[in-house]
Amino acid sequence: MSQIDELREILVGGNAQEIAELRERLENLDQRTRDVAEVLAPAIGEGISKDDQLIEAFKAPVSQSLKSAIRTEPDSYAEILYPVMAPAIRRSISQAISSMLVTINQTIASATSKEGLQLRFEAWRAGVPYGQLALRRSLIYRVEHIYLIDRESGMMVTEYTKAETSILDSDAVSAMFTAIQSFVQDSFSQSEDDRLTDLKVGEYNVWVAHGSKLMLAAVIDGDPPESLKFEMYDVLDGIQSDYAQQIADFDGDNEAFGEVSGRLEPLLQLRAREEPDAEADGAQSQDEPQTPGTRKVLLIAAAAIIALVALYFWAVAANQRLVTETMLAQTPGLAISNVSWEGDKLRVEGLRDPDAEIPFAKLAAHGVTEADLEFATVPFRSLQPAMEMTRLQGELQPPSSLTMHPLEGRISVAGTAPVTWLMQHDARLRQLAMEKRIDYSQLHADTATVLDYIIANYSQALPARQSELLAQLGHQPWHKVPAKTVLQLK
Amino acid sequence: MVGDFAVGKTSLTQKFVNNVFSDKYLTTVGVKIDTADVSDTKLVVWDVAGRDALSPINAAYLAGAAGIVLVGDGTRPETIKSFAEIWQTVSGKLGDVPVVVALNKRDVDGWEVTDDLLQTSIQSSWAVFETSAKDGSNVPELFAALVDRINC
Ligand SMILES: Nc1nc2c(ncn2[C@@H]2O[C@H](COP(=O)(O)OP(=O)(O)OP(=O)(O)O)[C@@H](O)[C@H]2O)c(=O)[nH]1
Ligand SMILES: [Mg+2]
Repeated sequence: MSQIDELREILVGGNAQEIAELRERLENLDQRTRDVAEVLAPAIGEGISKDDQLIEAFKAPVSQSLKSAIRTEPDSYAEILYPVMAPAIRRSISQAISSMLVTINQTIASATSKEGLQLRFEAWRAGVPYGQLALRRSLIYRVEHIYLIDRESGMMVTEYTKAETSILDSDAVSAMFTAIQSFVQDSFSQSEDDRLTDLKVGEYNVWVAHGSKLMLAAVIDGDPPESLKFEMYDVLDGIQSDYAQQIADFDGDNEAFGEVSGRLEPLLQLRAREEPDAEADGAQSQDEPQTPGTRKVLLIAAAAIIALVALYFWAVAANQRLVTETMLAQTPGLAISNVSWEGDKLRVEGLRDPDAEIPFAKLAAHGVTEADLEFATVPFRSLQPAMEMTRLQGELQPPSSLTMHPLEGRISVAGTAPVTWLMQHDARLRQLAMEKRIDYSQLHADTATVLDYIIANYSQALPARQSELLAQLGHQPWHKVPAKTVLQLK
Repeated sequence: MVGDFAVGKTSLTQKFVNNVFSDKYLTTVGVKIDTADVSDTKLVVWDVAGRDALSPINAAYLAGAAGIVLVGDGTRPETIKSFAEIWQTVSGKLGDVPVVVALNKRDVDGWEVTDDLLQTSIQSSWAVFETSAKDGSNVPELFAALVDRINC
């Protein structure tokens, strides 16, 4: 026995056997697994009840394994989550659809109502697309007040207001919303889901967003866009999830919700974002207080000036449109169906012959430049005499001895022409006549040019040919000359 | 404020909040809401439509109430006998909330509140006041007592 073993024997004595067993336990993996399994559940329980450290430690691995599990087995998770998700999804879809319906209704109403027509007129006058103006119009609103209300008790959790003039006691208003809510549910509907969401008081719209515990009511001056509703729900959902505990403990003491009013603030600023002028106006009136009287007069004067300026621009724009329309309508080769202001351009619709000459110079005299015009025209061939004349002139290059003028819907080509020219254009002339585009009954060959032609086309002068040709051309009009002659000559 | 119709719920509230009284009777439809400050506490008073044979108290208007003023008309004993039924609705919705009782119209001749009536209709934990919305007697005391009970 070594000295060490002796020493151990002295120190631990008969425990050597136990130590060996303990070591065996530590080294045997199966045994250790069994041991840990035994204490795992109570250990976790203990750890969680003690502090958050264990929860923190579990967070990442749990979420990671969840993620990978969902990825590998999406179907079974969908089944588990369905009862939770479905109602929420249904609710959000029905909300989206109902707000879409409201938007559609509003648009239809505004497109056909008197205001809508007025708006159309203004859009046309200002040269702005109707949709754009309508949109801007519908954005003019101001959220005056926001109340966050505990649904159960009707007590106000917090409020946010822009107006200095809070006529009503907010606590009373909150309670009233809840009371109205109860009344509506009591009187009209048995279902929990049928809630009051919109309400109109004079010029004010009151929109209410309902959460599970809180409701958010916004008092709005004017007609806000539907998107405000979504923003309200966003804010409400955020508050409900971040303040769940405080909401559950709410007993009318809103100290715990001090920070919340900051979250309501963005809802109030919406209108300022759309209308920076309103802010500037407010700032100015603070600098120099004016009596309501002078203010009114100033307002009326300003309105009158604006109206005059608008009227002037309107008159100019209307005149430009009219002038353009008349001038273009008179231009050969154009068949105009409509001229209208589209944005800052005059849009010309109709048919346009590529050969038509737009009278830009004349238009410029009325302040309409080439850049102001936008042609949305379909190309076509105009059979207007003036257009035909130009076109034929270009094509046939008639000698100066010929005259061309409109005659009964065709162009009359008359006079005597050199034989060379006649021979050259013979086929085309006959074709044009067949298409009833020209009348050439008054077109004659210039017999004095027969010799020139023969010399030009045949190397020797052939007297026989000359007399034969002269006999055929005679004094009859060109179209009576048999085509055979022409062929022979060629 | 709960109780039978025309016992003076609206009158008591108006006397307390705005210090006014009217002989005219305009029945309350649904609920009317007012607020008042009692020392450091802000009271939001729900003046609920009165109960009658056809329409019980609308329990929806009781939701979240911190305290109850039970109002009876001292000249009409049946309005005090109704307390039992009203209390059933209230406690069913709110549990054991603080209650103060107003036996109203004390100024009118024909007071018919007997000990026997009190014994059968009023629970020992309730604070009872004989009030008059007309001359204002015991009205501040009524609401002050309610606030005390809510706050403690
Ligand atoms: N003399 C006298 N008359 C009172 C008193 N309180 C109420 N009245 C009168 O009693 C009538 C009914 O009063 P209200 O306060 O409207 O009664 P209410 O309980 O609110 O009635 P409902 O709203 O219908 O439930 C009115 O004509 C009041 O003037 C009071 O203390 N003294
Ligand atoms: Mg009343």
